[in-house]
Amino acid sequence: MNNILEIKDLCISINSNIEENVLKNINFNIKESQIVSLIGESGSGKSLTALSIIRLLDKSCQIKKGEIIFLNKNILSLEEKEIRFIRKKYISMIFQEPMRSLNPVMSIYNQIKESYYKSKNINLRAIILKNLLSVGISEPERIINLYPHQLSGGMKQRVMIAMAIACKPKLLIADEPTTSLDVTTQKQVLDLLLDLKNRLNMSILFITHDLAVASQISDRIIVMKNGEVLENNNSLEFFRLPKNIYSQKLLDSSSYKKKIVKNIKTKNSNVLNVENLKVFYEEKKNFFIGKKVIIKAVDDISFLIKSGMTHAIVGESGSGKTTVAKAIMGLTDITFGNIKILNNNILELKGLNKRIFRKHYQMIFQDPFSSLNPRMRIGSIIKEGLCFLHPEMNNYDINLTLKDILTKVGLNENSLYKYPHQFSGGQRQRIAIARVLVLKPKLLICDEPTSSLDVTVQKQIIDLLLDIQNKTNISYLFISHDINLVSSISDTISVMHQGKIVESGDTSDIILNSKNEYTKKLLDSVPQIKK
Amino acid sequence: MFVFLITDLFFYLIIISLILYVFHVIKTQDLLENWMYVFKNKIGILSVVVLFFFILITFIDSIHIKEKIYDQEKKEYIYSNEVKSLLDIILLPMHQYSEKSYSAPFSSYLYNKETIKLEKNTNKRVYPKLKYKGNHNKYSENNFHNITVILALSLLKSFFICLLIYVIVFYKTLFKSSFKNFFFIKNNKVFYYSFFFIIFTMISLYDLSLQYYVFGTDKVGVDVLYKSIKSIRTGILIGTLTTIVMLPFAIFLGILSGYIGGVADDIIQYIYTTLNSIPSVLLIASAILILQVYMTNNPSSFENLYERADLRLFFLCMILGLTSWTSLCRILRGESIKLREIEYVQVAKTFGLSKFSIIIRHIMPNIMHIVIISVVLDFSALVLAEAVLSYVNIGVDPTTYSWGNMINSARLEMSREPIVWWSLLAAFIFMFVLVLFANLFSDVVRDAFDPRLNNNHE
Repeated sequence: MNNILEIKDLCISINSNIEENVLKNINFNIKESQIVSLIGESGSGKSLTALSIIRLLDKSCQIKKGEIIFLNKNILSLEEKEIRFIRKKYISMIFQEPMRSLNPVMSIYNQIKESYYKSKNINLRAIILKNLLSVGISEPERIINLYPHQLSGGMKQRVMIAMAIACKPKLLIADEPTTSLDVTTQKQVLDLLLDLKNRLNMSILFITHDLAVASQISDRIIVMKNGEVLENNNSLEFFRLPKNIYSQKLLDSSSYKKKIVKNIKTKNSNVLNVENLKVFYEEKKNFFIGKKVIIKAVDDISFLIKSGMTHAIVGESGSGKTTVAKAIMGLTDITFGNIKILNNNILELKGLNKRIFRKHYQMIFQDPFSSLNPRMRIGSIIKEGLCFLHPEMNNYDINLTLKDILTKVGLNENSLYKYPHQFSGGQRQRIAIARVLVLKPKLLICDEPTSSLDVTVQKQIIDLLLDIQNKTNISYLFISHDINLVSSISDTISVMHQGKIVESGDTSDIILNSKNEYTKKLLDSVPQIKK
Repeated sequence: MFVFLITDLFFYLIIISLILYVFHVIKTQDLLENWMYVFKNKIGILSVVVLFFFILITFIDSIHIKEKIYDQEKKEYIYSNEVKSLLDIILLPMHQYSEKSYSAPFSSYLYNKETIKLEKNTNKRVYPKLKYKGNHNKYSENNFHNITVILALSLLKSFFICLLIYVIVFYKTLFKSSFKNFFFIKNNKVFYYSFFFIIFTMISLYDLSLQYYVFGTDKVGVDVLYKSIKSIRTGILIGTLTTIVMLPFAIFLGILSGYIGGVADDIIQYIYTTLNSIPSVLLIASAILILQVYMTNNPSSFENLYERADLRLFFLCMILGLTSWTSLCRILRGESIKLREIEYVQVAKTFGLSKFSIIIRHIMPNIMHIVIISVVLDFSALVLAEAVLSYVNIGVDPTTYSWGNMINSARLEMSREPIVWWSLLAAFIFMFVLVLFANLFSDVVRDAFDPRLNNNHE
């Protein structure tokens, strides 16, 4: 097969005053009708590589040397007019956020029409309808007149793909096209890409940080780190036996060892008992008529967590799993139900008692970048809850505790005097964990604590959480969309769908022989690394 | 005897809070970094120096005293009825005597011809000589030579003064290292040049005005330069006092409406949309008229003219403040709504912190940069607003020196023949310099506090 794209010794630097290149001697090629996956953590230069192929680099980026040869032409030396022709005819790109890639004030029809720029074909509408059908949109006549906000995330990504393949490109660059989508939708999009590749005979450069997704569709795997290509290997060989140490580490991080099953003591006390929890929102549809629509975010769910155990709530976005966490923490109003923590009904606690009782249950949030106040030092961030919920401690004790907790979560003591922006994402999440652990809670709610982190860092945070559990017998309520992750760390699982728990039970039962249709579908959609 | 006018007290309050803020900045690392960005910026340090001198003049002009005079009738010392500021005493040669009427800058004669009697009962129309200045050249009969000598001498003087300041600052470890660091920073060249240039301007203007009217005289023969310098206080006070009045409203109501939401939000929104829809000029005019009626009905409650004029200035600041808090309030409301949903505020809620402590600890520090930016931006707009309001006769008291009043009187001066242009020019130059540097300063401050440009700080 012929090479469709060849990248030779590509070096790119940002800001001429810094000598170091952000891309260092990138070499790889893509053959006809082949899917090549670029894998790396954030900042590894994978998106930069993709943008340089289509020559959409920021002005501050300078191409130091190298060639990008596409169909026997060096893209880097082409005139702007010629590169526009290539973008129009041969190379298309789809982006990570379908919400941001579509213009919100244009109808779908008008947007797709743009990609048929200067097309002489009179029967454009019919062609667009056919195109939409081919990307798996079942009612194109209806969709074509809608606006982006009326479509779901998966639908928008399909529209994006339809636009990208409108010109029947030779090469499709997909920059994390499934990252912001749910697992079930992700599977559909991946299947669609595979199908299109076979039908249109096009090559795909697939950029992702998720090894499991890459293993699903790619023929070749390229691993990047710090602007360098570390490994360029056949997909099958890569997953069987990666050559590079870093690739090995990546693979390890993507698969979690099964949790050691603890000998469940019958004496274990109840830590959290949620009974018939309902959280409804009222939404006024029309200001004048005032007709209220009730949205059932959480509809009659119950579960129980014993001490030292981990319970996981799994579900897609919009299933109400975060609302459960917020309801327990008192961040939203509860319509009906009981929440008992350490056999105290927290809804009946009042005033100071209620506040002080909060030290027994705490929460870690999803995004460590917005969960730390940028204008406070780490010391005062961690101290905040401590001063408030443990008023009996004096300054000396507090300082000792702070230093102690920092070493526990693996941070340096002098971090106390730094500001959040001086830390990386993983370190920030450690600080967030330290902030709640310092209160010595009995129950910790983790709301997707790793979903905004890189895979290797994810692994470290999960290990830290498991380590803490082994030492302190703390209970976790783990909220996640990632069944792979959850199945390896939790003792029991509840699967949530549209505000209801559709299935619940021991982890091994659910994963191995689920009885519910939705759970099965969810399990099917989860990408697994093929070995 | 010291006299404290109401605007003086508020201006002292501003100075004290400014000093406290400086100490707060020196202690807080990231604030210090932001401000160092302002000082390291060429335009930033330049405008800081210029604005510093404007504020210094205002401060000197805000220390008011009554002098002891000997009463001939009662045969005892009493306090004079006239309230003077420290600046008046320093600039005594400028306003001690006044000429008869208009005279052009650096002129030796009045601007209008007068009939004088000659010996043989014959009248002649001539330009009379000025009585006090313009005809008493110290160094040379030639005006040009005389001025050159004065300028050269003042250049020498300012050089020595700057040298003296430099020696005082660097004399051993008189000052803490943080201050010293400031003098060694990257763009200190600009700092020294601009400092020297302003000192030189001030000294040469003073020296020149001992022998000339640098900006001429006005209708009643008062030195226009003196009037312009006295107007600085009015301009700065309008800019700063109004902000002091406006800030509590904007911050308190903005956060209340954004963070607490609900009914409070509705009420506050209605208040500021209503306030916004009233033409502010009408509101200010009516408020000033009410005050005037009050003052004419109760003349006994004011000791003298100065207090009346001062109260009117204060009242003007109040009413300007009341009408101008809405835009900042709206911005702060939006920002608080954004912060309300952010995760560190949620975390604070899970710790059980009260709403009040969340506002103090988490919301306030994260909106302060917006407050600083908009305060600095509003300042120059308010200085200009004063001029506009005085022009339509609803500004400060006609007896108060202000650029607005000068421009207002220039309306008539411009329509006579030959025209009197120097009043307008002087007011224009002073106002232009203040507003220009305030704007430049606000640009740099905005850059320094804009998180999107934060990477420039490295």
